[in-house]
Amino acid sequence: MTQLVLGQALNGAIIGAMYGIIALGITLTFGITGIVNFALGEFMMIGAYATYALADRGGLPYPVAVVPACLIAAAAGYLSNKAFFRFTRNNLVNGLLVSIGLISIFESASMLLWTATPVEMHFVLPGALRLGDIGLPKMKLVVFAVIVAVIVATYFALARTWLGRASFAYAQNPEAAMLMGVHTPRLETAVMLYSTGLAGLGGALYASLYSLEPAMGGVYVLKGMEAAILGGIGSLMGSLWGGVILGVIEGVGSIFLPTAFRDAYGLAVLVAILLFRPSGLFGDE
Amino acid sequence: MITVRSLVIALTILVLGPLSANAQDVVKIGQIEAQTGANAIYGWMSSQGTALAVDEINKGGGFKVGNKTYKIQLIALDTRGEPKEATVQLKRLVEVDGAKYIFGPFLSNVFLAVRPYAGEFNGKLLMWGGATRIHDYVGTPGHEFLMRTWNWDAGKNGFGELMVDNLVKTTGAKKIAMLFQNDQGGKVLEDIYVPMFKAKGIEYRLDYFEPGTKDFSAVLAKIAAWKPDFLFPSYADSYLYDIVRQATESGQLTKFFLVRGSLGPGLKNKDGIGEYMVYVPKYFEEAEKKDPKVAKFIKSYKDFYKRDFPYDQAPLCSASCYDHVYMLVEAMKKAGTVDDPAAVRKALMSMTYDGMWRIRFDEKGEAVFNFDVVRLKKGGALEVTHINPN
Repeated sequence: MTQLVLGQALNGAIIGAMYGIIALGITLTFGITGIVNFALGEFMMIGAYATYALADRGGLPYPVAVVPACLIAAAAGYLSNKAFFRFTRNNLVNGLLVSIGLISIFESASMLLWTATPVEMHFVLPGALRLGDIGLPKMKLVVFAVIVAVIVATYFALARTWLGRASFAYAQNPEAAMLMGVHTPRLETAVMLYSTGLAGLGGALYASLYSLEPAMGGVYVLKGMEAAILGGIGSLMGSLWGGVILGVIEGVGSIFLPTAFRDAYGLAVLVAILLFRPSGLFGDE
Repeated sequence: MITVRSLVIALTILVLGPLSANAQDVVKIGQIEAQTGANAIYGWMSSQGTALAVDEINKGGGFKVGNKTYKIQLIALDTRGEPKEATVQLKRLVEVDGAKYIFGPFLSNVFLAVRPYAGEFNGKLLMWGGATRIHDYVGTPGHEFLMRTWNWDAGKNGFGELMVDNLVKTTGAKKIAMLFQNDQGGKVLEDIYVPMFKAKGIEYRLDYFEPGTKDFSAVLAKIAAWKPDFLFPSYADSYLYDIVRQATESGQLTKFFLVRGSLGPGLKNKDGIGEYMVYVPKYFEEAEKKDPKVAKFIKSYKDFYKRDFPYDQAPLCSASCYDHVYMLVEAMKKAGTVDDPAAVRKALMSMTYDGMWRIRFDEKGEAVFNFDVVRLKKGGALEVTHINPN
């Protein structure tokens, strides 16, 4: 039993990191620009299918295919921002409506292009690493390492660079930031590009582990949202920790409780934590 | 003025006359299937065979009943697997479009929602659905409008009993772990297979997973600790690819027994599996080489959709609906009418259609036809068993 619990705790942490990368996109977009982008799961889907197309159909090596896939997702994000999202700043309802519309458009387009039949990429890194009775797929460990590296790098980039300080200034007071020389529309575009590119990266990593289908983004954006709220909206490291905690709760909870209600375990813990820390575990009080 | 009015009337008759004559020569087939959404794999595939058959019949000049030649107008609507949406669409098909023949639904939750409305048109409508839950209603009073076109697992002519027999006889399996999604389809499988396993003295465990799950590590680890002989997972490829991959990657579970879904997940993981036993309505790779009707169908499919035939997926429904359109046309010819669904149903009940499958309906109105069981072994070696309940 100990092995089973330990194995699922490790596995849950890895899956949680996947939630974390979407949570990072949500926290960046909302925390800095005030834009609510619930359609991030769709940019993840775009990144996943683009990776599949480039690596499986196009014959590119997987690591090479990931880069253009992220760029394609970011380009879709750029267009969505220019056409819709920039008009929804600080307006939750409008952001939600635009997101719902985009989810529908992207899902239908994907259905037309790829059909409802799931597709699965070739095995990028087959096999599992064995630690006693615990088997962890090698690719999952790589995915975990990449996500942690990206989130830590984003944290340092925002904490230590001028662009990062400008972003925080913009988040606190856009007018004052503009008066201090920050080109706010450009900053907003950059944040949108980065967050949708991140979602694209999440999709590219996802494609190496799971089968793809047009509706795949919906589940992950919900998990990402839970992770972002659990970690605290605006906290970059909180998004990673929020995701990991959520993943571990789901994994370990599924051992002792029915797996049919796995999603509920994370939600129950989220509600319990929010009762005591309304701004999340790492959010500002 | 009178002259002008007469001219307008004459012109109207001239223009609309041929149109209304043409309208009489069209048989409308409505279709309600999930072409998009989480369970689209069933509806999307089934809608393809129908469109292909309709196109072939129309391009061939239509079909003759009595002295009239008819063409088919297919109105295929996407329910997205949503029962409410399907009910509205069925209402539209029946009341606005005037369709008397409805193909679908393949999903039980959709069928349960549309059944009361369709029942109001008993005798005036013929519904050809593949949903498992149709088994509970077809052939019962007030449900003469129903024909069940797919002999899923339920019932004495369903493939479930035959599949489990085959499993026990060929593998000697004694412990089966079932892993289904927590939805109507999963409950249907539980209702069918739990009594079957009990009756045969097979020890079983049943786990459900949340629809939308992609990572099955936790539940698979739990199941592996129970050490089953076979894992009986899910009913949709959207889950099977992930389950089979994750089960074999960790090496915990390598033997699979499937009653729905395709050979694809097994082939993809052929080096990791120990055995992958799957129901397929037809093993197309083999049938294409042996049966000219199947070869013709696959060629038509490729030409019509301009893409390769999905051998490794589940072409079951697309292919079966193709046969069903032709069978319906034959029944109309036999009944001598296109306007009386009750007469057409009577003709269907007394005929055997020899298409890609040899299809007949039992006394309740459930289709009975041949199918294949494929046993895939480690490395990709295949063994195909043809089962003919006719």
